[in-house]
Amino acid sequence: MKISIKWLKDYVSFQLPAEKLAHKLTMAGLEVEKIEDAGDDVILEMEVTPNRPDCLNFQGIARELSAVLDKPLKLPKVKKLLYPKTRCDIEIADQKDCGRYIGTVLEPVQVKASPDWIGTRLSALGGRLINNVVDITNFCLLETGQPLHAFDYDKLIGGKIVVRRAKAGEKIVTLDGVERALDPSVLVIADAQRPVAIAGIMGGLATEVTNQTRKILLESAYFDPVLIRRASRLLGLKSDSSYRFERGVDFATVEAGAARAVSLILTEAGGGVVARRDVNPGRVRAQGKSVTVSLMEINELLGSELTVAKCRTILKKLNFRVSAGGPGVLKVVAPSVRADIKDPVDVIEEIARVVGYDNLLLTLPLVRAQNVLPQPEYPFAHKLRDIFIGQGYNETVSYSLLSQGSLDKSGLSGLPVVRVKNPLSLDQEVMRPSLFPSLLGIVRSNIHRGQKDNKIFEIGKIYLGQAEYKMLAVMGSGTRDKDWRALHNRAWDFYDLKGALDQMFARLGLTAVVYEACEDPFFKKGTGASIRAGKTALGRVGEVDRGLLQQWDIKHRAVFYAQCDFEALYKLASKKPSFKKFSEFPGVTRDISLAVKEDVSFQKVKEVILKQGGALLEDVAFLEEYRGEKIQPGYKGFIFSIVYRSSLKTLTEEDISIAHGDIAQALIDQLGVVMR
Amino acid sequence: MWNFDDIQQKALQEIDACRDLDEAEALRVKYLGRKGLLPEIFASLSQASPEEKPLIGKGANQLRARITEALEGIKKRVQEETFDPTQRIDVTLPGVAPVLGHKHILTQIIDDICQIFVGLGFVVQEGPEMETEFHNFSALNIPVDHPSRDAFDTFYLESKDPGNPGRHLLLRSHTSPGQICIMEKYAPPLAVVIPGKVYRPDAVDASHSFMFYQIEGLLVDEHVKFSDLKGLLTVFCKRFFGEEIIMRFRPHFFPFTEPSAEVDISCYICKGKGCSVCGRKGWLEILGCGMVNPKVFSAVNYPKGKYTGLAFGLGVERMAMLKYGIHDIRIFFENDNRFLNQF
Repeated sequence: MKISIKWLKDYVSFQLPAEKLAHKLTMAGLEVEKIEDAGDDVILEMEVTPNRPDCLNFQGIARELSAVLDKPLKLPKVKKLLYPKTRCDIEIADQKDCGRYIGTVLEPVQVKASPDWIGTRLSALGGRLINNVVDITNFCLLETGQPLHAFDYDKLIGGKIVVRRAKAGEKIVTLDGVERALDPSVLVIADAQRPVAIAGIMGGLATEVTNQTRKILLESAYFDPVLIRRASRLLGLKSDSSYRFERGVDFATVEAGAARAVSLILTEAGGGVVARRDVNPGRVRAQGKSVTVSLMEINELLGSELTVAKCRTILKKLNFRVSAGGPGVLKVVAPSVRADIKDPVDVIEEIARVVGYDNLLLTLPLVRAQNVLPQPEYPFAHKLRDIFIGQGYNETVSYSLLSQGSLDKSGLSGLPVVRVKNPLSLDQEVMRPSLFPSLLGIVRSNIHRGQKDNKIFEIGKIYLGQAEYKMLAVMGSGTRDKDWRALHNRAWDFYDLKGALDQMFARLGLTAVVYEACEDPFFKKGTGASIRAGKTALGRVGEVDRGLLQQWDIKHRAVFYAQCDFEALYKLASKKPSFKKFSEFPGVTRDISLAVKEDVSFQKVKEVILKQGGALLEDVAFLEEYRGEKIQPGYKGFIFSIVYRSSLKTLTEEDISIAHGDIAQALIDQLGVVMR
Repeated sequence: MWNFDDIQQKALQEIDACRDLDEAEALRVKYLGRKGLLPEIFASLSQASPEEKPLIGKGANQLRARITEALEGIKKRVQEETFDPTQRIDVTLPGVAPVLGHKHILTQIIDDICQIFVGLGFVVQEGPEMETEFHNFSALNIPVDHPSRDAFDTFYLESKDPGNPGRHLLLRSHTSPGQICIMEKYAPPLAVVIPGKVYRPDAVDASHSFMFYQIEGLLVDEHVKFSDLKGLLTVFCKRFFGEEIIMRFRPHFFPFTEPSAEVDISCYICKGKGCSVCGRKGWLEILGCGMVNPKVFSAVNYPKGKYTGLAFGLGVERMAMLKYGIHDIRIFFENDNRFLNQF
């Protein structure tokens, strides 16, 4: 809301420079967003919070200011008129839509340009001047907050006003010259035949007040805020009136606003009131609620040391009626414009506002030991992050909403995804059921921006059915870390990613992690693996299918992806392994070179070695996989390095030979391995 | 009796004539080695007369010191003379280190903020993102016809609310429903911070995103005061933005707090004089806060009048943008490596 300081001074006197005034208003809750010089005037742009529709006009702001500055409020005197008994024809179809409607018919009016004092005030705020009658309605809206509308009475068919919902198919050309299609969700003002205004939003062109107009009907009404807001959104049409109706106008101001406008029209345009009607079907009476609040409550909540007298003074300045409700107790009735005041805390806020938040004390709260336990997953997530950052992965944060298309391109169609009812764009159709499309999208955009080496991870939620699950996802593509001492940088591959996962499992103390070949829609055939620890499924890892990458416009590039269930990791990792004593005796390393049938996995070979090695075997390291002419067809070469160590004694050459020989024999017997 | 002068002169001549380390080592063995001359001299002490003993001892020690010194000197000289300059490395070539990754700046900011409150006795909790209308609106005293409930301002899901037939679940539009989740589960005293993603159907531009992060704070106990809220948030702002920061508490409106306030800090660019970053105001709005509205307590069935509470909420991206001079909110979610690598 824009206000002119010059105009504001009509209602309250002050000498403050604009900046100081802006500060005072801001600190009282009427935030001044902008200060603009306009010749001999200064225009302030204010943000009025939705609970204070009473401040969307000069009198409201002046009332606040008079309390803050402790200056008297000067309201214009409106002479009480004796209205004629003649009633105009007004009908309200549903009192829920329109709580009150005052119609006043005036004639003969002389429609002409506004007098200077109105013209300059409206122009200062950028208002367009139309004619004295229309300008007076706009002036009164800004002065009192009551939206008003003037119809050319002679153009109202049947001389009648009907407040009703639009009929399907009805249309109206509004004052801005646009034809608008209406439907029954829109409240209109109609005459005997057709809509002549969109209630609370904008008048119709057909009944516009022009220089030829002699007789007018002045409308002052209360319309349902929700109805006006919805219609305004539906039609994409906002006005100073709709802005105020949406936030709620005051029942009492419906009458006061009309009276002020009528008196101004009589002065500036002449004529007299020939008919009037105040339709108040709900007989709703404007009245503030009575609230009782004790001084103890006030000082307890604010941490202040205010007195009853001080509180009383503040409330009175805000036009509250205050009476004593016993010792240290205030009985307060807010003015009817303050519909937001309903409870003791509302009154306390009023006092705090006027005292000034900055003038209230500053203390530190007592934070006691509490029942709420820290969520242990939170530090655990940081632990996971540290593990991957330590291995060179960048953490990403991506949108949880995705397009259905990105799921289809990822082989993720057919999951029980959560759909958004009202997405703004196709990118927001579904809640992601997997982190895969998010990460692949990031890798793609980086590659397309010339950044070919990507190692990223994200800890984020996925959404399936009615549930949210936290996941860890890792993706990599490109070459391994650069080293100028090496001639070529090797391509980053499956085992780099698996290594990073293994590092994580090791750090989390998960020892029994197993990888098993598995097929997965987004993995290249033959490269996918499922990961489990005992019976707990942990996740999957593999190389992303090349066809899928093509669909994502990633060409000639291998991309690797892994995902792990955060909750499962957390549960397993929280079982801390106990300390294992290490041997004080020397260990001995022996290599073993094997020719293994192609269909026998590394895992199987390793299991046999571990089982046979028993207590003497301390560690098995894998040195090499070999295929080539030195090995018989259908076989692959494996070289292991085995460390033997006893916790009881220094092993002799004989001890080791026996153990090593037993392992070789077990491999021959159980897996048909050939020693090399 | 030994002629120490002659021995020394001869030894030093021999040492001086050395051309490599091997020859120097041979001389060390000859004079100082286990079967060398000096051990022999010391061995002769046992047969010497009482008068000779001190002279021999002193002479032998001096001799050993001179020869040792000469040998060290010659070794150094020989090393310098025989150094092959091609063995010199270019110590200015870059070192090689494993690449370290980077935590996303939003994670870092969330953690920085949460840790300040954890240090003050708060506990970090997370709440669900898919929420009910009750948690997101009704329990927070946001009336049924409030504009924020419209589909223009909140994302609704096709999923139905199991506890409220006919109503749909929604994506939380703020972290405040986290307050309700905590209060439904625990009785006071409680002090929590709740970080997380929130969603609003805003058209995306440099300052709007349909998804962003907020951190909610809630402290409920007997006798929590507005002055405590001021004190707590002053401590927070000074720790996060620096001791020199100037703050102000300005009345505002939130349905779930009463009194409500917004907190501004003095603009870090212009120091309060007014510039383009702060819109000539000299102040930057950083968070919303207030005293928990008693209606919220009754929504979670806390006994009437027993507790008071303070609550606050802040936007994480905004904090990061202010602290690091980032001008486009979209960059947080693009995850360009050149962005990620800077933090």
